[in-house]
Amino acid sequence: MVSASATKVEGVKTHLYYFGAEHGNDNLKNFAYSEQGDPNLLDTILLSQWDNFAWKGHLDYDVTACQLKVIEGGKKFVCQLNNKWNSFFLKEYDKFFESFGCLKPNSMKCYEGLLLCIAQGEKDRPEVAPSSPPPKDGLLVIANAHPVEYGHIFLVPSAMINQVSCYRDKRMFQLATKIAFEVNNAAFRVFFDSGTSVVSDHMPFQACYFANPLPVESTSTFMVYDGKGRSDIIVSETVDYPLKALVFTSNNLQALVTVVSEISSLHDNTTAYSLLITNNGTKIFLFPQVKNLATGCSLSAWECGGYFVYHTKFDFDSASETAISSRMSSISLHDSAFEDLKHLCCTIADDLVIHCLNHSRIFFDDNFFLSTMKQKDRAMRKPHSPLMNLLGAKRSAMSSRNNSA
Amino acid sequence: MASSGAAEADPPGEREREQEQERRRLAASLTARYSDWVLEALDELPGSFLLTDPALAGHPIVYASRGLTALTGYARRDVLGRNARLFQGAATARAAVAGVREAVRAHRTHQVPILNYRRDGSPHWVLLHLAPVFHARDGSVLHFLAVQVPIADAKRRGGAAAAGAVLLAACREEARVEEDFPCAAHAGKAFVDMDKRGLEAEEPRVPSDSEKEMAINTADSIVSALNRYSKLTGLVVSRKRCDSVGIPALSSSLNLSLGRIKQSFVLTYSCLPDMPIIYASEAFISLTGYSREDILGRNCRVLNGPDTSLEVLEEINQHICSEQACTVDLQSYRKDGSSFHDLLHVSPIRDASGKVRLHLSQVAFHIWVHLDMGAKHDFNGLTPEVWQLGAVAAVRVAVRGLSASGSLLRPSQ
Repeated sequence: MVSASATKVEGVKTHLYYFGAEHGNDNLKNFAYSEQGDPNLLDTILLSQWDNFAWKGHLDYDVTACQLKVIEGGKKFVCQLNNKWNSFFLKEYDKFFESFGCLKPNSMKCYEGLLLCIAQGEKDRPEVAPSSPPPKDGLLVIANAHPVEYGHIFLVPSAMINQVSCYRDKRMFQLATKIAFEVNNAAFRVFFDSGTSVVSDHMPFQACYFANPLPVESTSTFMVYDGKGRSDIIVSETVDYPLKALVFTSNNLQALVTVVSEISSLHDNTTAYSLLITNNGTKIFLFPQVKNLATGCSLSAWECGGYFVYHTKFDFDSASETAISSRMSSISLHDSAFEDLKHLCCTIADDLVIHCLNHSRIFFDDNFFLSTMKQKDRAMRKPHSPLMNLLGAKRSAMSSRNNSA
Repeated sequence: MASSGAAEADPPGEREREQEQERRRLAASLTARYSDWVLEALDELPGSFLLTDPALAGHPIVYASRGLTALTGYARRDVLGRNARLFQGAATARAAVAGVREAVRAHRTHQVPILNYRRDGSPHWVLLHLAPVFHARDGSVLHFLAVQVPIADAKRRGGAAAAGAVLLAACREEARVEEDFPCAAHAGKAFVDMDKRGLEAEEPRVPSDSEKEMAINTADSIVSALNRYSKLTGLVVSRKRCDSVGIPALSSSLNLSLGRIKQSFVLTYSCLPDMPIIYASEAFISLTGYSREDILGRNCRVLNGPDTSLEVLEEINQHICSEQACTVDLQSYRKDGSSFHDLLHVSPIRDASGKVRLHLSQVAFHIWVHLDMGAKHDFNGLTPEVWQLGAVAAVRVAVRGLSASGSLLRPSQ
């Protein structure tokens, strides 16, 4: 926790959570549970820090007092009455970045919204250092003072504080998915919106806790690509959901992150994407949306998931499944565009062949957590494999097709 | 009960009449207390369940659901009038059976995974949910309901195979002696199979949350059906004894969410004057020695004792009145009278489901998180305060969940 006296001399100090050291195969291993009977370490500290932040009165309103209801109808959309939340808050990105100024190294200011930091550790098991300066190559967890739900946080890479660059890179995807895995709480969802607003490139990953499954998570899906035994990924599409969406499921975190980050980097000016990472990092929903070039507004990931916030009692009371469904359908991709996307996703997933799950991994970024890698791992990296070249070729083929359309 | 061996002695017509009388007698066990329509209502419920009457000799089954045949292979008429132990067999764990017997004796609800046997002798794992049905006015037990939910083979826990084999040997010996086991006829085959399996004897299967929820929901539907039809004959049936009527029960989804929280805590219902406890976590039960039946409905002062500081209690009271959270140090007492140094955090929890009529601040519950400061704890670098606050926050998330009805609480009967 940040203490006022410490900052005067030494700079910002906070809890620092260290991931356990990565081994070759981190399928399904979750050392965040130290024993059967103990609460999950990352989940506990996240919740606890957020509650403390809320209790001190830093939130604009108490989100636990905001009324919720399930809208009648088969889809079970959920709506919240909240007259203080405003989706335009996120558009004030200048102020958003200003507030991070205090987090630069050697800064003297203190920032209450910084709940904790996350970095790669070297021990087998995860641990928490109670009072540390923010890591140079790690993640800052910042509370959202205008939460959509309990525990709403921003996940900001510490490297980004000093330069405004794209949040959408694979390293960030990996971190975000890994956090979902480590928290190991079904209520914890991670989100990402790309191209959904004018300032999209500057919006970080977000996360919060929803106690119930979001409506899209309960909807039935149809498998379109079964990668078991080959690429370890299953691709499905939603059935009977007003917004056409794709679902990527895998127990192999690397495979999942590689494929989804590749797909979402293929963006063009007419399509926006939202991502929803669920099921402790093993299932990712991709919501492609037709961009509204006039307003520049699209649905955020939780709205795509079926959770809506209304400002007035009248809107809240008159919310209906038909109105929401038609709103979603109007931004859903046309059938042919969706088929193209589906085909592309399956191809990308299929091209990803996992070489022996236990020993080698596919790397895209040289700088990713270098300090934790052992000598032999380093030797096995192939940053310019034929696979990369193939994907690069696909990418340019796709964009040229779009440009000519 | 007609025994299978003596058929030749009586003429067939006589036996038919006896069986018919027997059936009517068993059915009367239900229709005497509820209207005649109750049998049809129960027939409509899905799942495999039984109703038994402890007042009749042998504690026989008086009703078996339609789903029973699909699950167990027994036709409904096969089991009527027999004792429910007919489903148990050679490899059924003695401990599980003993637990069920004890729950029946103490008129308690009980849930346990148990290895049952189908009519053809094949074993299968079920989650057995047993609950007494009380007459709400005089508290006497009218029936027991037993729900059987099959447990899917999700994971097998390794280890302790040797212990399992020892248990198996004990069961085998017991089984040789007991005549009631229907699979005595298959005894030879079953034992041979056991021998082959030997050290791969099964550990009890762990039921999933959805299986547990299904069991609870089925039990609830049964009691609702009984209630609906008992009103016609003037009885009111409840699942709890009458002295705890009025304490709201938590919805099953909220119960499940709370069950995942590992810290030691209770939830009190702040809308009722004496703030009764409506939920206690497993860790709390281990810490204090109180069982759920002991503690639900009581006020938290049950943990106070001679050395509990009055000033600290007053401090807690003041914080509750001003809707503030507080953390205090005090002496708390376990059921056995021993005391421990308790780090206690109390915090108000709001309920925004809109269904509970609350005053403006919407404070519906309070959470009381305990920590035994005398015991060794390893929180992996977290302070005790952070550890406790994690529980509070987890409850806040859980309370944001909506059950299908939109309400966190089930209406009390």
